Amino acid sequence: MIIKHYKILPSTNLKAKEIALKVEPWTVIVAEEQKAGYGRKGTPWLSRRGGLYFSIILPKSQIEDLQTLTILAAFIVAKVIKENFKLEPLIKLPNDVLINGKKVCGILTENIIGKEIKTSVIGIGLNTNINKFPSDLENIATSIKIELGRKVDDKKILNQIIEGLKEQLKTISQ
Amino acid sequence: MQTEIKIGNKTYRVEISELPENLLKVRVNDKDYFLTKSAYGELVFLEDFKPSFKENGVILEGLAEKEIKSPISGTISAIYIKKGEKIKPGQKVITLIAMKMENEIISESFGQVKEIKVKENQCVNINDALIILE
Repeated sequence: MIIKHYKILPSTNLKAKEIALKVEPWTVIVAEEQKAGYGRKGTPWLSRRGGLYFSIILPKSQIEDLQTLTILAAFIVAKVIKENFKLEPLIKLPNDVLINGKKVCGILTENIIGKEIKTSVIGIGLNTNINKFPSDLENIATSIKIELGRKVDDKKILNQIIEGLKEQLKTISQ
Repeated sequence: MQTEIKIGNKTYRVEISELPENLLKVRVNDKDYFLTKSAYGELVFLEDFKPSFKENGVILEGLAEKEIKSPISGTISAIYIKKGEKIKPGQKVITLIAMKMENEIISESFGQVKEIKVKENQCVNINDALIILE
């Protein structure tokens, strides 16, 4: 698995779509900060330093499998949070994970399609070690660190989520 | 660039040349094949493509595709082109939200937009015509 690490990017999904055809499937783009992170319908996703922002270039798959994978991604993130930190995450279908009613993770799958699917990327924004949110977001967004009261290991979480996704895609595409 | 390649017992004369409009012509013996670069840098083979030439460049004609159809069912969330606009292979034309995912529909051919058959927020079925080209 190749992980391409960036200090700052406009968006990991944009970068992933840009390089998707030149790299191996399961290449992961990670940014410490995104200047123009976005979710569904272009909704901005605040991506300041302290969060885990990454996109995975997926292997060519059936569109139905990609849909299943998108939904399963939320389950995988919730499972990683629950098992590592004994927190009680809730999944807000299809693409969000909440803790104590506040958003901790957003997921966006994007496909580029001509006559067939050319490229698929799944982007995950997980608020891991963000200390504080701006006042307009503090009632709707949270981080694992805020909920847990301590710093968590981004690298370990990243690996667990990727492994979970790989395992699921293998199962559903069989 | 000219070269000769041998496949089995037969030798082919191959000539590669760059044309305007990001086109690449590969002549194998006396037959021409054309490729172009998509927005994401991928080389796209242009099937049934026969450009004609005039003084100020290439006229992009002889297209196989006259319409862009919806590859999946979903809701149109954004349209990036206008009537009369010239589009290229690999160009993003529409975003379609389907199955919880965002799908960028790209053109696979050259053409001029004759008609946009859909509006934002409209639901479409698989194989519905989205854009008519001329």
